[in-house]
Amino acid sequence: MPAAPRLSATARMPTAPDARDACPECLRRAWLLQTLSVRLAYRVREPERLLQALGLPDEQLIQAFGGRRRTELIERHTSFAPAEHPAAPGVERVCRHDHRLPAPLRREGAPRMLHVRGGVERMTALLAAPTVAIVGAGRASDYGMEVAYGLARGLAASGVTVIGGLADGIAAAAHQGALRAGAAGVTVMAGGVDVPTPASWRELHRRIAVEGCALSELPCGSVPRTWCHVARTRTIAALARIVIAVEADDDPSELLAARLAQAAGATVAAVPGRVSAPGARGPHRLLREGALLVSEAQDVLDALYGVGERRAAASHPPLDSRLRAVLDRVSAGSDTVAKLIAADEDPSGPSERDVLLALAQLECSGAVVRGDGGQYLACV
Amino acid sequence: MLARARTFTIEGLQTRAVTVEVDIRAGLPTFTIVGLAGAAVREARDRVRAAILNSGYEFPERRITANLAPGDIPKAGPGLDLAIACAVLAASGQLPTDRLETHALFGELSLDGEVRPCHGTLAIAQAAREGGLRALVLAGARAREAALVEDLQVVVAERLVGAARALKSGSGDPLPARPAHLDSDAGAAGDGCGEQQGLGEGARLDLSDVRGQPHAVKALILAAAGEHNLLLSGSPGTGKTMLAQRLPTILPPLSRAEAIEVTRIHSITGRLQDGELIRRRPFRAPHHSITTAGLVGGASSGWVGEVVLAHRGVLFLDELSEFARPALEALRQPLEDGRVAIVRARHSAVYPTRFALIAATNPCPCGYLGDVERCNCGEAAIARHRQRLSGPLLDRIDLIAHLQRPGCRGASGAAVPATAPPGGMLGADQSNAPAPTSAEAREQVVRARERQAARLREEGVSANGQMDAPLLRRHVALSERAEQLLRGAQERGMLSARGIARVLRVARTAADLDGSARTREQDVALVLSLRAQDVRAGRRAA
Repeated sequence: MPAAPRLSATARMPTAPDARDACPECLRRAWLLQTLSVRLAYRVREPERLLQALGLPDEQLIQAFGGRRRTELIERHTSFAPAEHPAAPGVERVCRHDHRLPAPLRREGAPRMLHVRGGVERMTALLAAPTVAIVGAGRASDYGMEVAYGLARGLAASGVTVIGGLADGIAAAAHQGALRAGAAGVTVMAGGVDVPTPASWRELHRRIAVEGCALSELPCGSVPRTWCHVARTRTIAALARIVIAVEADDDPSELLAARLAQAAGATVAAVPGRVSAPGARGPHRLLREGALLVSEAQDVLDALYGVGERRAAASHPPLDSRLRAVLDRVSAGSDTVAKLIAADEDPSGPSERDVLLALAQLECSGAVVRGDGGQYLACV
Repeated sequence: MLARARTFTIEGLQTRAVTVEVDIRAGLPTFTIVGLAGAAVREARDRVRAAILNSGYEFPERRITANLAPGDIPKAGPGLDLAIACAVLAASGQLPTDRLETHALFGELSLDGEVRPCHGTLAIAQAAREGGLRALVLAGARAREAALVEDLQVVVAERLVGAARALKSGSGDPLPARPAHLDSDAGAAGDGCGEQQGLGEGARLDLSDVRGQPHAVKALILAAAGEHNLLLSGSPGTGKTMLAQRLPTILPPLSRAEAIEVTRIHSITGRLQDGELIRRRPFRAPHHSITTAGLVGGASSGWVGEVVLAHRGVLFLDELSEFARPALEALRQPLEDGRVAIVRARHSAVYPTRFALIAATNPCPCGYLGDVERCNCGEAAIARHRQRLSGPLLDRIDLIAHLQRPGCRGASGAAVPATAPPGGMLGADQSNAPAPTSAEAREQVVRARERQAARLREEGVSANGQMDAPLLRRHVALSERAEQLLRGAQERGMLSARGIARVLRVARTAADLDGSARTREQDVALVLSLRAQDVRAGRRAA
């Protein structure tokens, strides 16, 4: 298939000598966003306005946000030389004038180009598979993170590509789940692809870049500002066929990914929680509005491929009735050894010894994990 | 005329023999003390002079030189007063010199000639016996302490006059009667260690005071039985401190040799009040503001740290994450080697530090991690908290017990009906049943220790907690199914190689507590439930 014809805005713009790189116009756009980053961060607070602003052509963007530096910016914009902005080593660039840019990003308002770590080819392969974004709160409960981890692991093992940002809580748990299944997903970075933020996720970022891929619309070295997180969310929402909200407050900023996905016509799904938990409010609102209820990877596979078409890989081998009984009680809230023993009032129930043995075996088979407070959690 | 007297000085926890030589000859009346005398020893000059005069003796108005030999070791403390005074008396012909060769003298003098007790009497008595001396002359208040040393005659001298009489005739004042409050042996066995931090004097702590937390109680018994270090993690108010305070009550009693070791340390550091043998294991609970020097010692010559005071007992570090990092790092040598070598510019010393470490911490800065409704800590704060705990100290901790708040809502959703608070009277279910009494637990511990000692006799260690990898291979005797379980855990990535060694050590203790020759599946399962957790998915690594 021949490359898409380049839409060169001005005849002055020389075409890139390397056809595999992004075109100068799109590079200039990325440069402009990076240059205006600080101004965007404090001039635009609401996501809607930001998304509008990101849809503006370059000249209007400079007019709107250039401030006193407008004239200077226009000058620099006009004399932009792509040769001065080479791709960083290990980073490939692809723009909307290249057929390799993922199709969902050809819409109005989507990023014009992507910086890719991990290779455009791998990105294409990953995005050719069904894509699922797992989104949610940064400050999530053990339960929420376990669900995100388990869902991502189950989906990744079934050939689904897991997409998400790089952030504390649900996002990190989802990426770790996918890595656990041996199928790293796609992470969309808020800043440059070589700027792992939050810095404590550097190692996770590195692993995803090596095994999966990391994307960003901003040039390498860009420090993420507040607006970048909204911009990143719009990319995630655009790339995913299903967006699953695991834990989120009922708050427009936390539900942004789901809202954008709704607007773009993607499926929105949500994992229910306990009614009184703050992290369940967001998913419950989505469910009230008709979102797909997801409790395990199988639900997502049914939605992607049709009911019963694909079976999710089991997260743990089948359990015998003795282990199953203990697992059920753990799921029901008896999450410590003391509670498990206390729950059997009748003397014929399992002894402490049996309970401990069952828990150890369940842990070894991956059916339960320990929470931060030492309590046992049933895996999804 | 020249006279010699024998005494001892204390340097760190060591004693050094000192010979006091006094020379009196014609000249302008002066009294000089030479031989690296510390401030307290130099002051002895005035005390000795007044004491001699007030005791009715004559203080020679001549040139007096007292030399403390050997001249290269510094001497400190007021305990040399008595020896200097007696040497002066002997040199001036007021006292026969023959018994000064065989009797050590130890005591401070008051201006009116009274002999006062000094710290470190037990150590001095041991040194006197090892130095081949026949008797030790000292104040009555410390006579019982000195009498702990066998084969040494203890001569009581309440005043300088009494000491002189003893040196003339060989018999001192009568030994003072045992104080009434120490008369019943059972009562004395409980106390003895004068300064029990964190324990009210006379408090009767018992393990059965603890309600609920059966799993943590189990961990405590395991720690006591195998000399394993234990970390208690849990929300505020779940009973971490309560449990830790009860660890000394379930540890085996001190053997006589151990008791003398402990008494000696506490005597030298001035913490012994009644001069009785300490029979109860020390329990030290320093506040988390402690400095490195406070913890391991070394602030000044002779200053010992908490790790030394906890020797043969328990060192309890509450709020572990609040301790200064350097202080915790400094615990590595004491924990690994059972001794700490302090080297400073002017002094160096090696102190024994065999103690059981028990630490307590909140799981996160606010303490309610795992409770979705109460914990307000951000990821960064949790990661920081974890980072403070991790590292070399956590490597030395074999057991981690998580204490749960009763009625805490499970993270998986369902609220578990609240049971009574710890110590409450409500609820008869097993989770709230009282723990075994200290006596019962101690008996289990003693039996388990006997089994370990019998098995490890030829290996040079006495408890499972000290087993290294080759010893583990030889002595763990893992059953086939236990091995299978352990292999499963390893394949699952739950345990590192070091983690496995740790599990094996503690599992061996669990089997010893049950009296099993083999380490069985359930022992491994128990220990797996008490191991350190990996960082959870979605949580920042430390």
